[in-house]
Amino acid sequence: MHELSVVSGLVESVLEFVEARGIKKLATVRLQVGELAQLEEEQLRFCYTAMIEQTPIQGSTLDIEKIPAEVSCAHCSYQGSPKYWDGALAGERVPTLQCPTCGHVAQAVRGHECAIKSIQYVA
Amino acid sequence: MIPTIQASPEETYDIELEHSLLQANAKIAEENRKQLDSHDITAIDFMGAIGSGKTTLITRMTEKLGDQLKLAVFNGDATTVDDFNLVANNGVPTVQLATVNGCHLDANLVAKALQKIDLENTDLIFIENIGNLICPAEFPLGSRSRVVVVSVTEGPYMVKKHPHMFLGADIVVINKTDLAEAMGVKISALVQDVHSLKPDIKVIPTSCKTGAGLEEVATALLSTANAPVHA
Repeated sequence: MHELSVVSGLVESVLEFVEARGIKKLATVRLQVGELAQLEEEQLRFCYTAMIEQTPIQGSTLDIEKIPAEVSCAHCSYQGSPKYWDGALAGERVPTLQCPTCGHVAQAVRGHECAIKSIQYVA
Repeated sequence: MIPTIQASPEETYDIELEHSLLQANAKIAEENRKQLDSHDITAIDFMGAIGSGKTTLITRMTEKLGDQLKLAVFNGDATTVDDFNLVANNGVPTVQLATVNGCHLDANLVAKALQKIDLENTDLIFIENIGNLICPAEFPLGSRSRVVVVSVTEGPYMVKKHPHMFLGADIVVINKTDLAEAMGVKISALVQDVHSLKPDIKVIPTSCKTGAGLEEVATALLSTANAPVHA
């Protein structure tokens, strides 16, 4: 349940921002979450709704944009989508660090994001 | 008629923020790493489920490497100090990191722990993360290497069920191999699962009971500790 620590950081940052700007009403927080960031959308939303209760941003919504993973291979210079693991038991397909072209280990160059992209508010 | 747009009192505004939420931890982790590098200390983070044998493995490693290197152990645990007692009994400086309700260690806790030990007299720190195979993955601590410990008693699907954790690992230890037959778990299948996710990674089957594989783990940790520091 590390979503809770992420969301608590998020709510804290947003509250600071809202207070500093004297924003009346926050509409939406847009969050970018990378495919490799190990954050469950449903839990993020649940934590968000729970944490903003009785705060000035109560009633605002959390928009989550998924950022697909991208890997690069030092061995064959491949850069692009990762190879997915069909054998995994998870509900979603699982990205691996196996290079899709040569099979050597690849580095993740995108997909670990977890950032507030923008917020929408009523002035 | 002049075309006019009148701002409504309820006009909504969009503001780009690009505020990274994991950045705060990552930044402290980098500072930890710099501090460790400047004292020529290597930290190694052990992650794995509750009961996979992290503490026992760390204890064995302190026994194997204690003569060659000055060691310290940071013991992450939600509530108990049982593990602390196990390790500290060996005379190794140990700091207990109690996360209470937290499901992972973070770089800030490690930074505080670093203040509790004599950095001038330390070569290698083992950091035992909270028993959890999901949450610690996205929280770097400043360690130079991450070891994931799984055990055959967790069943044959441990890797398949928690794939993400292995993507960030540098070494994977498959522990309690003496029980593999009783558990009906094929070690080779677990090794293959890890390699499907991350080819070329070092996977070491061990038994802390019989001592099998422990020398290989010690050698791998030692070579991490002796590797030149990257700028």
